[in-house]
Amino acid sequence: MRVFICGFGTVGQGFCEVLAARRQFLIDRYGEPVTVVGAMDSKTYAYNPNGFDPLELVSVKQGTGRVGTETYQDSVEVLSGAEFDILVEVSPTDVKTGGAGLRNIEYALGNGKDVITVNKGPLALKFRHLIDLAESNGCCLRFEGSVGGAMPIINLCRDNLAGERIESIRGIFNGTCNFILSKMDTGQPFEQVLKEAQQMGYAETDPTNDIEGYDSACKVVILANAVFGRDVTFNDVRITGITSITEDAISLAASHNMVIRLIGEVSESKLEVGPRLVPRGHPLGISGTLNTAQILSDLAGPVTVTGRGAGRIETASAILSDLISIMDERARRR
Amino acid sequence: MIVNAELYVKDLPGQLVGSLEPISVVDGNILGVVHNRERIVNHRICINITFEAEDDQLERLKAIWKSKDIIISKIGTAYETFTMDYMLIGDIDARYIERLINKASTIADLDGVEVSYSSKTGDYSKRTGMLSVKTKSQEDLDKLDGFLDDECRRSGITYVRGV
Repeated sequence: MRVFICGFGTVGQGFCEVLAARRQFLIDRYGEPVTVVGAMDSKTYAYNPNGFDPLELVSVKQGTGRVGTETYQDSVEVLSGAEFDILVEVSPTDVKTGGAGLRNIEYALGNGKDVITVNKGPLALKFRHLIDLAESNGCCLRFEGSVGGAMPIINLCRDNLAGERIESIRGIFNGTCNFILSKMDTGQPFEQVLKEAQQMGYAETDPTNDIEGYDSACKVVILANAVFGRDVTFNDVRITGITSITEDAISLAASHNMVIRLIGEVSESKLEVGPRLVPRGHPLGISGTLNTAQILSDLAGPVTVTGRGAGRIETASAILSDLISIMDERARRR
Repeated sequence: MIVNAELYVKDLPGQLVGSLEPISVVDGNILGVVHNRERIVNHRICINITFEAEDDQLERLKAIWKSKDIIISKIGTAYETFTMDYMLIGDIDARYIERLINKASTIADLDGVEVSYSSKTGDYSKRTGMLSVKTKSQEDLDKLDGFLDDECRRSGITYVRGV
């Protein structure tokens, strides 16, 4: 099985490490290794039809800052010159246009290649188009890691809860906001906690996507489309961020034995992201950088999952689960 | 409607059933009965009954109980309430909240509203108010939620509702 990785930052490198760690498991399960034949970062690419040692790719990237020696202008041109079976698209997300990630996914699906992505932009903007493209070309599009990182939610709803009528999903889908709000529970002001989050690497230098709720909104869109079969985009979400949450608001909530958390909510009729009052001890009142989701279905009732929403190996773990799902699907078709 | 009644019946066999039968006579539906043998007053035992009945049948029921020498010590309506908390952050004061509640009560049937404020900040644009609202139906809560969300967006106030 030949894999091409687009995007060789934290997640791309983490996936290579996970592939190396699970090499024997994959051989035992499928009778063949998973080979990385290509990798691309923002400026360079490396391609070898015989495959690379994934750890060697990581080492080169960490040593030189580049994954390959060849430079490129158009990522689709690189992909069109390569032979591979699965595209792992983990390039930086662009929620306004979908960016190069969208074009890479479109190219791969249009050419009958399976795709695994954690890139939220293309999914939040062109979900239905991408699903249709995959179906019309008889290939798979998997995106478990795009919502909640290592926390299983999409495959949980689609596979394990397949017989259920899912009424709603609400949850904490952004670890950065949850870190900030739970730190504010201890009396720290927003600006101070944001700075701390940036110093600890939880928040970007430009934290707009996180604190204005845009990142959570992308995830809500993906859930609405993937789980509820809706046809919505980022622009359909009613979004309120956390920038106006004051210390006063936090302490008034605390005096009523509640905390404030940024909650994404999706159902047949709702598509919202906003701060919510959560009773202390409620499953949605968790602290720190964790993500959590509460799925309400007609037979099982509420099912709650919690996990690490981001991180090198955690997100790679979700990509591995998608890889296994695709390889199982291919084995069934054979 | 749902009615809760506290009755005192003679401490004799068959009195409990005798107090329940009239509810069936008026086409009522018994939801719960507590036969409180520890509460005896003047050789009478306390029975607490919760039942559903039509409003216009209540006087008839009371008349039947009285004719059977059953003492009605308390009777009142009980109903399920739906509660939700809402927080507003922005340029708000007591007059604004009062106007908002008055307007909301024309849209949804509010059973009770408690308001609390935080006045720690001197910044008028970041005042915080919290409304704890009770309604008689989920539908009223949904209407209220939509109304508050729209009003707050229009006024540039951050709206935080409960889960």
